[in-house]
Amino acid sequence: MNKGKGPLNGITVIELCGERGQLMGKLMGDMGARVIKIEPLSGVAERCIGPFKDDDPHPDRSLFFWAHNTSKESLAVEIESEVGKMVVEQLASKADVLLEDFPPGYLPSLGLGYDDLSSMNSQLIMTSLTGFGQDGPYKDYKSSDIVSLAMGGIMHSCGYDDVPDSPPIRPSGDHGNKISSHYGLIGTLSALFHRNFTGEGQYIDVSAHEACASTTEYALPMYLYQKKVVFRQTGRHHGADPTGKTLCKTSDGKYLIVFQLFNNLNSWLSLVKWMQKENMAEDLGDERFKDMARHRARGTKDADHAFEIVRKFISLHTAEEIYREAQIRKFPWGPVRSPEENLEDPHFAEDRGMFTEIAHDELGEGVTFKYVGRPYDLKETPWDATRPPIIGEHTNSILSQDLGYSREKIESLSKQNVITTRKLMPN
Amino acid sequence: MEHVSVGIIQQRGIAKRTIGAELTNPHPPMIKYLIAMYNAVSVFQACIRIKDSTSGANKLASQNGPSSLRENALQGIRVIDFTWIVAGPQCTRILADFGAEVIKVENESSLDYTRGIPPLMGSDSPNKSGLFNTLNRNKRSLTLNVMHPRGMEVLRDLISVSDVIVENFSSRVLEKWGLGYVEQRKLRPDIIYCSMSGFGHSGRDRDYVTWGPTAQALSGLTYMSGLPGHESAGWGFSYMDHTGGFYGATAILMALLHRNQTGEGQHLDLSQVEAGISMTGAAILDFTVNGRPFRREGMPPGNRAPERQIAPHNSYRCKGEDRWCVISVGEEKEWKAMVNAMGNPPWTEDTRFSNMTSRFENQEELDANIERWTSEFTPHEVFETLQKAGVPAGAVQTPPERTDLDPQLRHRGFLAEVEHDELGMTRVESMPMKMSHTPWKLDSASPLLGEHSAEIYMDLLGVTPDELNSFYEEGIA
Repeated sequence: MNKGKGPLNGITVIELCGERGQLMGKLMGDMGARVIKIEPLSGVAERCIGPFKDDDPHPDRSLFFWAHNTSKESLAVEIESEVGKMVVEQLASKADVLLEDFPPGYLPSLGLGYDDLSSMNSQLIMTSLTGFGQDGPYKDYKSSDIVSLAMGGIMHSCGYDDVPDSPPIRPSGDHGNKISSHYGLIGTLSALFHRNFTGEGQYIDVSAHEACASTTEYALPMYLYQKKVVFRQTGRHHGADPTGKTLCKTSDGKYLIVFQLFNNLNSWLSLVKWMQKENMAEDLGDERFKDMARHRARGTKDADHAFEIVRKFISLHTAEEIYREAQIRKFPWGPVRSPEENLEDPHFAEDRGMFTEIAHDELGEGVTFKYVGRPYDLKETPWDATRPPIIGEHTNSILSQDLGYSREKIESLSKQNVITTRKLMPN
Repeated sequence: MEHVSVGIIQQRGIAKRTIGAELTNPHPPMIKYLIAMYNAVSVFQACIRIKDSTSGANKLASQNGPSSLRENALQGIRVIDFTWIVAGPQCTRILADFGAEVIKVENESSLDYTRGIPPLMGSDSPNKSGLFNTLNRNKRSLTLNVMHPRGMEVLRDLISVSDVIVENFSSRVLEKWGLGYVEQRKLRPDIIYCSMSGFGHSGRDRDYVTWGPTAQALSGLTYMSGLPGHESAGWGFSYMDHTGGFYGATAILMALLHRNQTGEGQHLDLSQVEAGISMTGAAILDFTVNGRPFRREGMPPGNRAPERQIAPHNSYRCKGEDRWCVISVGEEKEWKAMVNAMGNPPWTEDTRFSNMTSRFENQEELDANIERWTSEFTPHEVFETLQKAGVPAGAVQTPPERTDLDPQLRHRGFLAEVEHDELGMTRVESMPMKMSHTPWKLDSASPLLGEHSAEIYMDLLGVTPDELNSFYEEGIA
């Protein structure tokens, strides 16, 4: 949880989420909300997703879980049990927000639907994130990250035009789930703003299918207006008509995205000058290359020729060399980095503090690991994160301090295997 | 409730306003037309509001006070929108969909790039791009030349009556205009200023520039998408423009909540590349904790799921040209259901496929067998067959399937209709959520260039009709 200055300070969130919704809770917790994640006794399924610390598939060692569950408390209880149901009711009756991503109808079947909970707490904002939405012919269909990305049309736009028989590609990194969580969060925050004026909560029904379907840039407008169907192209935008390749190989075996060669005459001239300085411009100084408008309208032989000379020039430099020199000249080119390569970029790592050490006291005193940091810098209400919880780490404190359960009652529930309470045991 | 209605009218300035009939200027047909149209429309809208306030809304108001007249979550929030292309407009579209008044500040000499790119339904006007329409619905357009001293004065007036300023220029533009955050605060002490640049407003590379594809490449997202042993497939569109927009809107919403608590505004420094980096958390941890780089043999993983160690998890060829489905089986009972749905083919009895671990280890053979089955059906046949059996599966849907054939998207109202003066009836994708109390709204299509200039100058900023004429003459508006 954020140490006191976050914009969501004072907001309590109950999170009943798996892989689709876990990012919502993290984004709220990192900005100051108190997020209570309610998990089954053996933990949520995401704790079984790799990679794992030291490749040890232990539920408290999943780096996938760590990445999406900072700044949360963990309360381990089976919500289908009588005690579990009561705990959810008691917490929800005092909470501001409840986030959940169960199939439609599941929580109502336990008596924990919006109608049940809002009758106890009319200020509650409840956000349900499902594969296809709460109603409609697909509502009971099962979804997953790749299903959302396929049905939503994102995969149709991603892949290769020069690898024969290659499939559409799911960009890895759980982006179908992330897109859904982003929209769920936006709806939740807008409802909190509204509640400031009216005191009323509400119910928000977010569909991963729709969230992905509205995240495909040109694909829908091109069809809606001109009946053109975009197709996928290697490493660059989908096209309704073919466009030139933008990936260029560099001398260190990496790639660079290179585009807008003919954006304007000044930038073209400065590119040629740069290449001339290294005696690699060949004939690009010729007048015929200076007609920007003609070359922008794709397909001129001169434009193709120019790109080949530039490609040759790039192939004799490293990706970082070209990147820096190009950016000095205001070309929006960028190296295709692997994520870890940003840890060594001084702008992000040093100047901007984009990575942050988070203490893992559960693994021993003074143990810290470096995480990615904030997605935004709110100058007066900064981002801050604490390590993800181990299963049931906060069961005891929540039941005793928030709900007033006696020590005897908690011990008895624990013995009956209705809750899991955990103490930190460094190994 | 009479006073509420009157309040609305006064707020809209109808009582005070003089009609621009006496105007004489070199743009006469256009300005007169705009002013006349504006008057007609305003009166009409005010009538509608009066009518509404005497029905349901009226009742709520008498119970709970005027706050219950709120129909939209961000009602009453005014946003000055300097953004262009995709990332910024995606951010302000979210705010506008939630009911904020978004004033898009434009200039004929440097038009929003998307006013001029496909799909274009004509090149005779800056109002005929379908992409611009979908990104800018619900917004108002104000033409204003900030390079003119009087234009800058007017802009400063506008800041003083606004809540939020959003821009996605490169990182020094507003400072060069003399309108950095410190200056903005002098005009409006609680202003929320959201800058959406490529690299942020501090640091040694702050002057570098990005487009969506640059941010995707730098952050690692491009590299993470592709088949092992090949170049990157990357993202087939500017995903980081969409996502940069989400994070911009998220930051603004959080800052508005903070302002509600404290009365304080602030500067929100967004970097498109950092938003991308923030989504690579698991890969970064694998490196910082285990020392294992993502750039390694066998990565990226194509459509398989090594992080989940589940199989089948892939895309599969179907009947038809370049048609594909996806299947992801995460549990043993889903595999049993899938075997049954395929008609229990003998190959499924092979011990190599008997449990999750062995299936994962023998994916090449597993996927080849599955593809022999899927290739006899269309993607939607596989999707329906497997879903009916309880197996997560999907069709890789094409744009026309999403716009016209998907019964779920149709049921949910995924595409909404809105009339546009030059494009006719258009369809735009909805805000993908249903909210019980403050649903997103669709009041208008994207604005024509300068469509709302006259009303904003005169009603909001107190510019007289004569002065407005001179604005048009001198190229200020």
